[in-house]
Amino acid sequence: MSSGEKKEYWRWQESCWIDESKDWRAAKIVTAGIDVGSVSSQAVVCVDGELYGFNSMRTGNNSPDSATNALAGVLEKSGMKLEDITYVIGTGYGRVNVPFAHKAITEIACHARGANYMGGNKIRTILDMGGQDCKAIHCDEKGKVTNFLMNDKCAAGTGRGMEVIADLMQIPIAELGPRSFDVDEEPQAVSSTCVVFAKSEALGLLKAGYSKNKVIAAYCQAMAERVVSLIERIGVENDFFITGGIAKNVGVVKRIEKLLGTTAAETKYDSQIAGALGAALFGHTLMLKQGASATKAA
Amino acid sequence: MSGLFDQFKEWYEKRHDYAKAWKARTGGQVVATMCTYTPEEILIAAGMLPVRVLGAHEPQNVTEPHIFGMFCPFCRDSLAQGLLGRYDYCEGVTLTQSCIQYRQAFNSWRMHVPTVKWDYYLPMPNEVQSRFAKAQHYAEIKKFREYMEGVIGKKLSDADLKRGVEIVNENRRLLRELFEYRKETNPRVTGVDALYASITAQFVDKEEHNKELKRVLAELPKQANNREEGIRFMTIGSENDDVSFMAMVESVGSTIVIDDQCSGTRYFWNEARIQDDVIATIADRYCERPACPTKDYPAHTRFDHVLKLAQDYNAKAAVFLQQKFCDPHEGDYPDLKRHLEANGIPTLFLEFDITNPLGPFRIRIEAFLETLGEEELF
Repeated sequence: MSSGEKKEYWRWQESCWIDESKDWRAAKIVTAGIDVGSVSSQAVVCVDGELYGFNSMRTGNNSPDSATNALAGVLEKSGMKLEDITYVIGTGYGRVNVPFAHKAITEIACHARGANYMGGNKIRTILDMGGQDCKAIHCDEKGKVTNFLMNDKCAAGTGRGMEVIADLMQIPIAELGPRSFDVDEEPQAVSSTCVVFAKSEALGLLKAGYSKNKVIAAYCQAMAERVVSLIERIGVENDFFITGGIAKNVGVVKRIEKLLGTTAAETKYDSQIAGALGAALFGHTLMLKQGASATKAA
Repeated sequence: MSGLFDQFKEWYEKRHDYAKAWKARTGGQVVATMCTYTPEEILIAAGMLPVRVLGAHEPQNVTEPHIFGMFCPFCRDSLAQGLLGRYDYCEGVTLTQSCIQYRQAFNSWRMHVPTVKWDYYLPMPNEVQSRFAKAQHYAEIKKFREYMEGVIGKKLSDADLKRGVEIVNENRRLLRELFEYRKETNPRVTGVDALYASITAQFVDKEEHNKELKRVLAELPKQANNREEGIRFMTIGSENDDVSFMAMVESVGSTIVIDDQCSGTRYFWNEARIQDDVIATIADRYCERPACPTKDYPAHTRFDHVLKLAQDYNAKAAVFLQQKFCDPHEGDYPDLKRHLEANGIPTLFLEFDITNPLGPFRIRIEAFLETLGEEELF
């Protein structure tokens, strides 16, 4: 890195993947789900109701472009064209601004459906820890939402908060989780529930002689306590599943599990794509039930 | 409905202009009222215009020295309007006892709004279920009458008061008639329309309001009811005049068909029972009206009342619009939620502040709608 160049510690790994074992051209129904969130955007393509490919990237400064760019990654890698996709559903904060979507569905419904696919139909409680909010969701065996709660008016306990801490500590965001356990004793959680104040408090701890790892541990613990207070309001029922970018932060996940006294279900899939995956699966069901009329109705 | 409710909308949006024009036209006094338990009949009999104080739904920084930040947003927003001089045309200010937060907002208003010429605190009993309540309220209404006689410098006759009762009762009756249209499938009257009509009744000259209600009621049968209703919602809470929120809710696949709020049905639901004694007529009406949570103990009469409203208006779900820090409503919430849900009415809880985040609220409303329908997705 050249001198003066600012390192972006917050920048998480963008990824694009397709299942080479599947031939989308042989599929009867190809659907896509586009999740335009406040921090990240994902496009998921399903063929005949199975995950085929996804692209996960940073959300840009405009929702239509973010949606287009996210889907472009999968199209490019698979040789697919937009017109090969039968049905597209938009979700996330930018759901109504996905230019090629036939329908918009909230990310709450989509995350529940995605978690049902990723974690199986025993999943009843979902914690979606997104970029600017977190949601506690309860669902039935089909992945249909039966109850939900969202955090209010504050980004603490969310992905953006973790990005701020990564920059403050000058530690790559993917290392925060593991490093939070590299402490001689577990510190008290930072007390602030606001990202800005938490940042000030973290600075204060550093000045008081806390190691970086200890500050990170205090922040991870605060985040865990915050979301646990949310999820306990709807009641934790096994099986329990975590979606969203923070699900990749072991420092938060393990602390949540400890506070709840339960273990989150594991998945082979990228937890960050749950919303887009759920949207694509909804598209598949709509096509099955309504056929071509679904696209006309939309 | 486009056009038909425009007069109510204009009154709502230009309420200060309306009150000033009324004052210029009639020469009468305008009174800022701070609760729907205010016996407007007496103010009207005295030739005054009762104007319920509403907030402006915009950030303000003037109430902090006067009342706590953890008082409800509606109290703070209301007081802010007084401190900012937006009700400077009001000679009087009055509060009938409901909650302590409102009372402190009132006290601050009467002490710190320089244009106040007179103020009156009406200590209505909160335990309206007590066997002594009506007698006590009778005495207080009588004292209020005497005080108002002092303000206007002449006696208020029983005939004056009866005329006040008739005017307000007619308003209540007409609003009930209007709200009957909300029982329809694909109702001709939306939640936004109904809000404009009921909230303006709280600050527009009642006779003028009655005239407009009659015009609208005469026109309504000619209108087609072709609105796709979506899911039929009920709203529950204290004051709510957040039109943009209501419009958002009705734009995403629902219709608000009834409410239990003091900006809506709780204000006008029951007429005064006409008795020989006009003071008893007025006093009893306020003791018998659908209760605010501050006046609903030891029995929770409003729980069955709310459920009946939901059932009568075929509401499929209820949305609690909880003013942040409103303890009386928050205290009722868990039991009322259980009561509704046990009777097949799912609920959603939203916390209101002076300004509300429409985007996040929209997600909650849409997700709630998805839990109530969207079977084709599974």
